[in-house]
Amino acid sequence: MIDFVQNTVDGIMFGSSYALLAIGFTIVFGVMRRINLAFGATIMLGAYAGTWLHVHYQVHVLVVVLTTVVCTVLVGIYVERLCFHAVRRDAALASMVSSFVVWMQLEEVAIHLLPERTYSFPSLIVAGSFELGPFLLRGEQITMLVLAAVMVGALHLLLHRTRYGLALRAISESPRAAAYMGIDAAWVMLCAFALVSLVGAVAGYAILATDEQITPFFGLWATFKGLIAMMLGGMGSLPGAILGGLLLGVVEAHAQWYLGNEYKDLSAYVLLFAMLVLRPGGLLGQRILGREELAFRRV
Amino acid sequence: MLELRGLSKHFGGVKALDGLDLTVDEGDIFGLIGPNGSGKSTTINLICGVYGETAGTVHFRGNLMNGKPPHTRLRAGIARTFQNIRLFPNLTVWQNLWVAQNSSQDVSAHGFLPRWFGATRRTRKEIARLLELADLGHKGDELASNLAFGEQRRLEFARAAAARPKLLLLDEPAAGMSRQEIDNLGRRIRRMRDSGVTILLVEHVMELVMGVTEQIAVLNFGYKIAFGTPGEVQRDKAVQEAYLGTSASKSRPVDGSA
Repeated sequence: MIDFVQNTVDGIMFGSSYALLAIGFTIVFGVMRRINLAFGATIMLGAYAGTWLHVHYQVHVLVVVLTTVVCTVLVGIYVERLCFHAVRRDAALASMVSSFVVWMQLEEVAIHLLPERTYSFPSLIVAGSFELGPFLLRGEQITMLVLAAVMVGALHLLLHRTRYGLALRAISESPRAAAYMGIDAAWVMLCAFALVSLVGAVAGYAILATDEQITPFFGLWATFKGLIAMMLGGMGSLPGAILGGLLLGVVEAHAQWYLGNEYKDLSAYVLLFAMLVLRPGGLLGQRILGREELAFRRV
Repeated sequence: MLELRGLSKHFGGVKALDGLDLTVDEGDIFGLIGPNGSGKSTTINLICGVYGETAGTVHFRGNLMNGKPPHTRLRAGIARTFQNIRLFPNLTVWQNLWVAQNSSQDVSAHGFLPRWFGATRRTRKEIARLLELADLGHKGDELASNLAFGEQRRLEFARAAAARPKLLLLDEPAAGMSRQEIDNLGRRIRRMRDSGVTILLVEHVMELVMGVTEQIAVLNFGYKIAFGTPGEVQRDKAVQEAYLGTSASKSRPVDGSA
């Protein structure tokens, strides 16, 4: 029982970063009906830039954090300009394919930046842990959870209390009507990419600081985890992304404990398989269906 | 106010609109009528930038609008309603109006904070006024998708008004409305004009068009076939033929179905 609770707590903490990755996918999908496959690679390259400074100039950890965040946002904007802004609005597939190609490009850049397989990644957080009754809480993971909660709270305020959030939701509801109401979709989308890159950079930093190492495969890993968490929660749903991320974290933590390390990733795919069979729209996916139904009612 | 010169739109071989000249003066309620597929909706779509024109120019208050995207045209003062209502279904009635308020230059000139966080007092007051005018005062917090059809139409009208346009394009606003609702709509349109908005009305419902407009242009197969006051247009031979479908349909192949 103690193991079970401990695993669940660990899973929720690590799952909070999955949730942030999923939010990056779900906002882009919810607003543009497009998938940005290069999202994970964007974060990876941003973190690589930070690592590069760390390796060559031994800069302070804070500089690494700042570089990671700024470079991730810049790469995110680059991806938006190249794969999304430049491609026609109705060509969602073309965007996805080009984001896949750009993913390869970003990986190549990272490998040339730092050619070895793995590098150690500096942690801002004082790695320590403390006991709470029979449970053990790791400092990095608590930081991760707190960061995720702050990001989600800020995003919620942004989406529901600001004019920018209103514009974003208006575009998601009806892109054409939004344009005739004076909303500049191109600008709003550019900001959205910068925004999700920021969220992704924070998630990426928290994960890498916990792992204490970085490889070029982090991009692949982050894209997979983010996509799976989004699919579990329901594509395009913000609460779904959070729920999906936490669920994925918890299931992985249990699989790792009860079945062994090699089953951790497998459990994620089994969970995704089960979800696709039992509830293809994801946990909170009915909202998307609801919206389509509304479209038929001529609203 | 609005000047169209030689405006044309071809879809492949189909000439949806062919060389339309039209001038709408400030303060007019201008009617644009014609049988189905005569190019009325195409004209509206060209004025607000849905697609690019094949040839010709659109001038609005002396400025060339060709090539400008819809959001720029709205900010210049051209707002529209849609033939099939296009609200933001999962936003509340109040938020639907806020989106439009959001975009009008007037309001966004308030500085950084009110621009990003919440609505200013002035915006709230303005939205409350618009809700009242649209008889939706008690429905501000409803989702737009929960409104009845007539209410949705009124909300769309109010949303266009919220953008504080100089020119309002109404694309068949009376479609599906009852007699009484049409009378109400007529009053709303006149009130809108009296507050200084020029109106271009595309409509099939003749009692509305003949009741509120001062000038009417009649289109058929992408051409303007008549122009004048409601009385003049009703007496026009070419117009009667277009609507009854005699010589007009013989002289031109029926391909203007856009």
